Amino acid sequence: MTTVLNFATMRRQLQAGCAAVVLGVAALGAPVFAQDVTTIKVLNWQPGGPEYWAALVAAFEAENPDIKVALETVPFDRYPEVQGPYITTKSGPDVMENNGGLELFDRRSAYLALPPEVMAAGDDLITHSGGCLNFDPTQACYGLPFGYQGNVMYYNKAVLTEAGLDAANPPTTWDEMDAACKAVQAIGKTCLAHGMTGVFPAYWNFPEIARNYLTEDDMRAILAGDMPWTDPKMISILEAMASIGERGWINSNSPSISMLPDGADIFSSGNAAFASTIIADAVNWQAFGTALGDENVGAMRWPMLVPDAPLAKSFSGVESSVFGVSSWTDKQEASLKFVKFIAGVENGNLLTSLGGGIALNKNVDPNLIPKSQALAQIREIIKTPTLHVGVLLSGQEADALGRGWQEVTLGRLSVADWAARLQIALEESPGKN
Amino acid sequence: MSVTAQMIDHTSRSRARSIVKRGLAKWLVTFALVVVAVAALYPLLFTIINSMKSRVGYAQNPLGLPLDITFENYFDTFNRMNVPRLLFNSIITTTGGLLLSTVAALFIAYAVTKLRMRGGNLLFLFIISMLVIPSQVVIYPLYETILGLGFGGTYQGLILAYAAFGLPMSTYLLVAYFRAIPDELIEAARLDGAGDMRILFQVLLPISTPAIAALSILNFVWMWNDLLLPLVIMGGSDKTTLMVGVALLSGQYDVSIPLISAGLIIALLPVMLVYFLFQRQILNGAIAGAVR
Amino acid sequence: MSSPDIVTPRAASIAPKKRRGLLRPNTLLIIALVLPGLLLAVLFKLVPLIRAFWLSLLQTRGFEEPTFAWFANYQSMLRDPVFAQSFKNAAMVFVTLPVWIFLPLVIALLLFQRTPGWKLFRAVYFLPYMIAPVVVGIMFRQILSPEGPLNAFLIGIGLGPLAIEWLNGPTSALFSLTAVALWAFFGLGVLTYLSGLATVPQDVVEAARLDGAGFWRLLVSIAMPLIKPVIGYWTVLCMSSMLIWMFPLIYALTRGGPGSATMLPEYLVFITTFEFLNRGKGAAIGMALFVFAALVSAFVVRRMYLEGKGRSS
Repeated sequence: MTTVLNFATMRRQLQAGCAAVVLGVAALGAPVFAQDVTTIKVLNWQPGGPEYWAALVAAFEAENPDIKVALETVPFDRYPEVQGPYITTKSGPDVMENNGGLELFDRRSAYLALPPEVMAAGDDLITHSGGCLNFDPTQACYGLPFGYQGNVMYYNKAVLTEAGLDAANPPTTWDEMDAACKAVQAIGKTCLAHGMTGVFPAYWNFPEIARNYLTEDDMRAILAGDMPWTDPKMISILEAMASIGERGWINSNSPSISMLPDGADIFSSGNAAFASTIIADAVNWQAFGTALGDENVGAMRWPMLVPDAPLAKSFSGVESSVFGVSSWTDKQEASLKFVKFIAGVENGNLLTSLGGGIALNKNVDPNLIPKSQALAQIREIIKTPTLHVGVLLSGQEADALGRGWQEVTLGRLSVADWAARLQIALEESPGKN
Repeated sequence: MSVTAQMIDHTSRSRARSIVKRGLAKWLVTFALVVVAVAALYPLLFTIINSMKSRVGYAQNPLGLPLDITFENYFDTFNRMNVPRLLFNSIITTTGGLLLSTVAALFIAYAVTKLRMRGGNLLFLFIISMLVIPSQVVIYPLYETILGLGFGGTYQGLILAYAAFGLPMSTYLLVAYFRAIPDELIEAARLDGAGDMRILFQVLLPISTPAIAALSILNFVWMWNDLLLPLVIMGGSDKTTLMVGVALLSGQYDVSIPLISAGLIIALLPVMLVYFLFQRQILNGAIAGAVR
Repeated sequence: MSSPDIVTPRAASIAPKKRRGLLRPNTLLIIALVLPGLLLAVLFKLVPLIRAFWLSLLQTRGFEEPTFAWFANYQSMLRDPVFAQSFKNAAMVFVTLPVWIFLPLVIALLLFQRTPGWKLFRAVYFLPYMIAPVVVGIMFRQILSPEGPLNAFLIGIGLGPLAIEWLNGPTSALFSLTAVALWAFFGLGVLTYLSGLATVPQDVVEAARLDGAGFWRLLVSIAMPLIKPVIGYWTVLCMSSMLIWMFPLIYALTRGGPGSATMLPEYLVFITTFEFLNRGKGAAIGMALFVFAALVSAFVVRRMYLEGKGRSS
């Protein structure tokens, strides 16, 4: 049984309730009638929403009548509490979702290295390196993705116009952004709606600034733990993050509110010119379009600090998550089929039409892509992808980055001390030493 | 004017003044109590109001009354989570945990206080000292233990954990209560030929209702509202509780305050129902169990 | 109450015979009665605690096989400034204990004077206690926000300067969290005290009032001495609940921030274990918290023990 049910089916469910309990108890003793049906458990946090996931399961089961899918859906932010003990006791679900990058690499002992015939499904994807050790598809891969993720800056055209700015040409450099913010503040509105509580805001914004100072080799050095936080490049990134608060771009309560939903609410209410958040899955172009009117919402790349830096005009993209097969499962074949399905075009079509997501599969039906100007702009931005440095941070580093940013913004911590804390966090990171 | 008259006049005036003073004080007290009541009720009202706003309506008007009332968030909540099933799970696990911890505590309290067992005080000390182990500290090894016993993702697993964490307080309340019951009562029942189980359930239990009510309320509230134990022990299985369902609503990236508010209200309703049904018992007798 | 003493002389004379006759079934009965509770306590509290201690001696690297490392986790813990901060914050929270104890008492005494509508007030005050802490946290995230209803109210009644960013400052954030926890918990205290006050003879109160005793005299010299055991019981409840109640609030409101201003040991154990994947160090911090909780509650458990233990044995 899935955790998702339509309202319509609910009443039926309720009526069948008592009977189901009795039958359920009876079934324990009775022989299994359909012996060739395999039920696989899929641990997930339901990216793309319940409606999309119900459709995904239905489509997979229709294609594979001998396999049933039981979803174990856990809140995204409570996921490690549930998954951790499964991994240490080597028991639990057959298929598991994880973020690509370090989070997956840390847990690779819990996953099967996917066989080549499953990995072949990855050829149809724009990228699938986030599931492969060190982002290298020639090495062992532990999972396949289906959607694409990363941060852009959304802007409210009505507010920009009100502030006397050209809504057709939003700022592209840090200096232009600074000028735009002054104009927005002059009309009494927040420039960049922002919340910093928790690790995610730092984890998502850091890469967009880091691209101005790092090369992809530097990023791989971060993954390996070989790039000290006291390196001048890293200090430049931290200084730029600190300056966002110093320049007064953001709402003053930013250190104590969360980006989602608080920061997003400020933007949705029409009281802010910009907001930085994710491109899919959630509070994104679609939600903002509903709140502000599609015609008022635009999406742009984060403004550049060092316009001639090699990656300044790219996009820090990451597979929204990858699905792998647990190393302890005795239902390998069925589980591998599910992982393959995740990367397939059918799932890509569902994600595009129902999940508000950005599918990685190249063969997705273009007619299914929603008509939205912001989405069209996003699809342009993501054409020049690079690595996402956020997912290369260890838990300690992300935490120290997030907490430090709050304190720096409140003026209670210097950038040098922030870097020193991050360096300690790096040295304490189990996965990087 | 005579001295007496003067005195009478003085006292009556001071009495009048004191009546005024007392009247004023009474108003002040009532005012203070009203302020506290508003503070206690407002967050709930605020949440109910928000749950009836559309997402756009909330974004444009987060503080005021909804301009047009919508129940869309409630339908959405029902669509996103299987409310009847989650409710059923919560009832099973909370009732199970409550019963098991109460019965276990009753047994221990009887053995320790009425059977003069050797080491009874030590056992009592051991059980109540378990109070200093909060679930957050041992959650990881606790879940490994539960998985090791084969109870991961099962009702039994959660019920046992609830019972174990409810045990110290239950035992304390019952032991303290049983101590105050004179042994003569038990000896009389024994002379009438009653066995231990009959003494426990037909003699002691009826007179202990205040203590039972007190521990039931304490345990019911925390077991129903707990998030960490069901989240970890049930994982994302379909046997998880309503509270985890609500956490899933707010744990997704796609967060909307009106939707979460509706979920919160749905999670609250059963507790409120219990409260209003048993209000008399809860408010009058219940906590007295701890007091005697 | 003292029936064991009364029966002793008689019991002593027949004891040898009786004991031999009753020993086996009685022992079996006692074992049967004690076993369920003992198993629960041992399996789900003591064993996990011992496993946590063992884990705290292991060096864990993500999900790789751990290695034995003596006290390395403890050393790393003591070097960590956030660790010290979290215990400082816990101590700060405990400093507010008198408010937790006396605020409900004052309110209960006000109600006890049979203020009109006191039953309604009593019912309303208890309501917050029934609400799940995580729900309370999510509710107050909105209420405490700078543009939220609390500040709108303060500005509305001309107390604009008090309308601060409640969760933004290092002291105000911890204060706000504690206040929210108190909001959720005080109703239980009011109810507990009211039950206690109900045992105070009404004529004692009337006599005191005729003597011209004011509210505070009534509180300090009449009510408090008479309901001392209730105050003790409530203190036990508060102390064993304060940290536990703070956890979901931190989770929903601040995640320990800004910086580590609202970091409490329980939350630090949690993120060290699950976010940093450093289970060994998480367990070490858990052990420190266990010791802290044991020290703080030693007197609580002692009180409970004295109240519940028998006269001898």
